[in-house]
Amino acid sequence: MSKEVILKVESLQVQYGDRIILKNVSFEVYQGEIFLIVGGSGCGKTTLLKAICGLLKPTNGNVYIQGQNITLLDEEELQKVQQNIGIAFQSSGLINSITIGENVALPLREYGLVDPKILNEVVRIKLSLVGLAGIEDRMPEELSGGMKKRAGLARALALDPPLVFFDEPSAGLDPIIACELDELIINLRNLLGITFIIVSHELESIKKIADRVLMLDDGHAIFCGTMEEVKYTSIPKVKQFFERKPNEQKYAFAH
Amino acid sequence: MKTLNIKSPKIINAQTGKELYEEAKKLSDKKTEQIIFDLENTENIDTLGCAWLLRIAEECKKHKVSFSWIGANEKVAEMLSVVSPAFEYKEEKKLQEDIIFTKLSGEFEGILQEIKDFINLCIDAIYWTILAPLTGKKFRWGLFIEEIYEMGVRAVRIVCLMNFLLGLIIAMLSSAQVASFGLSIYVANLIMIGFARELAAIMTATVVSARTGAAIAAEISTMKVQEEIDALRGMGINVIQYLVAPKMLALLIVLPCLSVLGLIFGLLGGSAWGIFVLDFNASVWFRQTVNSAYFNDLLQGILKTFVFAVFIVLIGCHNGFRVSGGSRGVGLMTTRAVVMDVFMLIAVDIIFATIFYYLI
Repeated sequence: MSKEVILKVESLQVQYGDRIILKNVSFEVYQGEIFLIVGGSGCGKTTLLKAICGLLKPTNGNVYIQGQNITLLDEEELQKVQQNIGIAFQSSGLINSITIGENVALPLREYGLVDPKILNEVVRIKLSLVGLAGIEDRMPEELSGGMKKRAGLARALALDPPLVFFDEPSAGLDPIIACELDELIINLRNLLGITFIIVSHELESIKKIADRVLMLDDGHAIFCGTMEEVKYTSIPKVKQFFERKPNEQKYAFAH
Repeated sequence: MKTLNIKSPKIINAQTGKELYEEAKKLSDKKTEQIIFDLENTENIDTLGCAWLLRIAEECKKHKVSFSWIGANEKVAEMLSVVSPAFEYKEEKKLQEDIIFTKLSGEFEGILQEIKDFINLCIDAIYWTILAPLTGKKFRWGLFIEEIYEMGVRAVRIVCLMNFLLGLIIAMLSSAQVASFGLSIYVANLIMIGFARELAAIMTATVVSARTGAAIAAEISTMKVQEEIDALRGMGINVIQYLVAPKMLALLIVLPCLSVLGLIFGLLGGSAWGIFVLDFNASVWFRQTVNSAYFNDLLQGILKTFVFAVFIVLIGCHNGFRVSGGSRGVGLMTTRAVVMDVFMLIAVDIIFATIFYYLI
């Protein structure tokens, strides 16, 4: 695997009013890897994801996507960078009033980077990439949860981005569908060389797909390393998370 | 039979894919029956390249030419195998036979079902609004008070303003017509009869259906979309009792009150024109107005508003419960509710006018 840095985050801080959500978070993501942002509920995972793909302005710190500092860009320049990244949302983010095919075609049409002659073909290719060939005429409401996520991913892949963000791919899915989605992510990485940055708290899925993980706790990055390193870490919070143990004190009264 | 062999470039992407497409188009003619792509030289293919290949395949299908590729290396073959479902997929066309008949009967059934649903809702709503509280069943008085405030108190300003302006406009237009006959004082009669019988009720109900009817439809359809309705049902709570009954009772009380307020402000609007522009003495104008007030007219105006109130709530809820799909469905159903409300107002109005004209 090449060790080229595609995303670099430097001492990132995000604040909502007085409340600090992220404190001094720094890490790097290499080309072609599946990088997971993990942590308990409410630790700032989704906020971090939004901050690094430019949906949220950080209070402090820098985010470099392919060497470009996106915190310094204005709206127009940021949009250009965002053409190079794909974002798949937790609740799929598909627009309900148009068909799946039109949803996938949306970024293609908006940016006009694809020959209009092959627009339909590109949509069909993208949908078959995520295993949904032949559903372009259906409406989002007709799809199951897993299919919606796949369709959302197909839309994120529309512009062939080298970097794809995925928020909670396996949340709310049954284990079989979640597992299929994990395999899809790995296959897409192998096939197209896409770098994935994924937010998740599903332990099974994390163990299966992660090349490296970043663990957040209460807004701090407390661990960043490979899955191999996770096994030998001595940080109690990380151990607790990966061994799936409850907080002792919190539930003391139950004994 | 003519077979076309096309050698593909090193990398197939958006650019070279398009060149391939154009080359294939140029070389093929009516006699061509087969196109074979030789992918031996191709090292890589991206998704846009695949899309161009698919485009060529589609053209081939249209012209009944067979399409295939050979000699793909491992990487290219893998990519093509992943996207191959797109190549195989054929659009399923529905059978054309009987389509009009099926469509018509489907439509008819849909309408019948909707009428049935509406009647069921109507019966349920009336039971839970009027009969159930009398027999000591639970009623959400808290929500009822809230709705009175939301539907009634907050609508007072707009209802007063609309009726006042309407009174003013009608006085203005009609006085211009009758002035040459010296009958200007009868404008007071016209305003009184017009507002008592029709205008106050219709105007107020229109405002309320746009405000409250739309709000009810939007609220209930959003609740349905977000599975809140199912959650209530799952808890064993009667949705009609919980959501619809307090709204209906509130509007049954509020709409007649608003109409009376509308009537008063309509009369004031007319009087404003009569007194300040036509220069009538205030006491003369008011006496004329009061003398032209008949009990039947007032009764007709007030009775209507109860029917309007029932229908505004029912139509709002009915459309809310019928929603399907997400945010788009909510918008569609809200629009539908307001359109049905306006139509219902006119229909009910005609029925009342006819009854009072012939019978009373």
